[in-house]
Amino acid sequence: MKSTLIFKTLGFLAYSGIIILAASCGGGVSEERSAERETSDASRIDLLGAGASFPAPLVTAMADEYRDETNNRVTVNYQSIGSGGGIRQFVEQTIMFGMTEAFLSDEVMADVEKQTEGRAFNIPITLADVVPTYNLPGIGKGLVLNGEVLVDIFLGRITRWNDPKIAALNSGKNLPSLPVTVVHRSDGSGTTNVFTSYLTRVSDEWRTRIGFGTSVNWPTGIGGNGNEGVAGAVINTPGAIGYNSLSYALLNDMSFAYVENSSGNIIEPSYAATTAAANIDLPEDTRVLFTNTPAPDGYPIAGFAWMLVYENLDKNNAINSRRQAEELVQFIIWSITDGQELSEGLGYARLPEAAIQRSFDMIKQIKWRGDPVGQEMLKKAGLI
Amino acid sequence: MRRVYDQKSLRQRTIWDHFILGLLMISTLVVMVPLLIIVGYVIINGAGALNWDLFTQELGSPARAMQGRPTGLVHTILGTAVVDLLAILIAAPLGLGAGIMLSEYPDHKLNPVLRILNDTLNGMPAVLKGLLAFSLVVKPMGTFSGLAGGVALAFVMIPIIARSTESALMNIPWTIREAALAIGLPRWRVILSTVMPAARTGLVTGFLIGFARAAGEAAPLMFTSFGSNYLPNHWSNMILGPVDTLPQRLYSLAISPYKEWHEMGWAAGIILLTFVMILFIAARFLTRQKIKT
Repeated sequence: MKSTLIFKTLGFLAYSGIIILAASCGGGVSEERSAERETSDASRIDLLGAGASFPAPLVTAMADEYRDETNNRVTVNYQSIGSGGGIRQFVEQTIMFGMTEAFLSDEVMADVEKQTEGRAFNIPITLADVVPTYNLPGIGKGLVLNGEVLVDIFLGRITRWNDPKIAALNSGKNLPSLPVTVVHRSDGSGTTNVFTSYLTRVSDEWRTRIGFGTSVNWPTGIGGNGNEGVAGAVINTPGAIGYNSLSYALLNDMSFAYVENSSGNIIEPSYAATTAAANIDLPEDTRVLFTNTPAPDGYPIAGFAWMLVYENLDKNNAINSRRQAEELVQFIIWSITDGQELSEGLGYARLPEAAIQRSFDMIKQIKWRGDPVGQEMLKKAGLI
Repeated sequence: MRRVYDQKSLRQRTIWDHFILGLLMISTLVVMVPLLIIVGYVIINGAGALNWDLFTQELGSPARAMQGRPTGLVHTILGTAVVDLLAILIAAPLGLGAGIMLSEYPDHKLNPVLRILNDTLNGMPAVLKGLLAFSLVVKPMGTFSGLAGGVALAFVMIPIIARSTESALMNIPWTIREAALAIGLPRWRVILSTVMPAARTGLVTGFLIGFARAAGEAAPLMFTSFGSNYLPNHWSNMILGPVDTLPQRLYSLAISPYKEWHEMGWAAGIILLTFVMILFIAARFLTRQKIKT
């Protein structure tokens, strides 16, 4: 019968499908078999998180390490979709934890409280340091800038690199008379949040005219999409100045400035200086910006990157079982303690002790159907 | 005189003919060159990164690539196969049905509406189809999944398959249907046994165009299949959990700050191109074989 021809075609598609599926199952099976020696299949857990791109290299490296340490028991899948996306998916309850460089606003906190009858916790996971990056032929890293000069540059008032204000801070350097090209992020970004929060704190004019946030109304300059967009524009434009996270600048060999802090010390961006900056009185929920830090040896343009979790984990649609909840809490505990060991090797600053203590206090309150799983897991880890 | 006139005319026609043929060849080249440049550029940049690890290892963190530890895209390749397959399994029956309806029941009251809806769906930005799949599948399931990705890609495929099925069936002369009806076959039999076999090349081509178009889409997958850095802990999570796909991974590799990942992105491009090309060749082979029998 002729009609069988079309069925054969469809049959081929279905058949090739079965082959592919079988292959993928096969892959899974062999994977399982090797792991069965250590743990049974039922006890293996996939955790899903998403959010800020800045901490992604650190968090995925933690996931690699944690998977090894737990003998493949726990696979943490972290996708970098930006701080805004992380908050959004966290509120939509499609991910088990979010990640952001801008803490949850009061409105979002209230919204979460209404939906889940519990709070959303902002748990610091690492520190975000933002450095002014520039492209000045003949001048490497280490141009000295302060808050006043940065505000003038990003307001478009300083238009040439040999401006007396910049020269006053850099006596030994031969500044070119290149025009200043300002580059900023065009997308909503935690990096912008940290940078503009610094400018807001050092300048009343910036605070009233521009303010701070994940995206602001820039008075001058060109936009670049993502860290890579800003870096690309800066690298390709002599006389350009932008801002990037320190690890990104280091990774791409960009020149970055040293910044004078509120105590008048000139600080070379470094992990230690960033950790020092966070050494301040933290509120209980750690929702604080510490740009322009009062710490005398702290780098002034830095902030936390937070992990977002619900107080009532059972209320998060993405978490289906107590086991998942327990494993999630264990991973969070590990990442702010042992996991911090990975920081320097990857270009991140360690969390200060005070922040870790605050995090423990928050984790203690995490519940699954009213049971204090957070407290249980902290006990299990021998931390309380 | 007359003969000379004729010959002149013939020569003019030959020249004209060559001229037009030349133009046609130039336009063909203009179409082919960008394709060849793209394929060539991808191969030149990606060939160096093609290695065994790429097909056997999981991606993990960028630290793996930077420190020279094994890293690859095995989960991405399998994920792409699963998501694309789910998509065609969902889209083929629906698209085929809609196409049959439009072509074989031309007087049906619903057809004008169906046609407008189909064209609207076809013109809709792919990212909106992803959002639709997000609210239809991801939200109720409470997690991103390969299934959601399949549904999103099916929305890309359905209008293309419906349209191509319609035009493939329309190409079959109406007299064939009349002949089949005249020997007493019911309508469904006529469609299944005479019209569709006759139009098989067109039908399969339609599937493939739809498939190839969807296989390259990254936008609808961002918030449906979402992406993953590892093979899931259980194979069923290929369908019920977040999975990686080549177009989406290619994008995230390309915008990453790591040289190693850029190279891997090019290699991912080669794999995706090969994947689509194998499908096209398989389909050509399939339809040709059918004509011989």
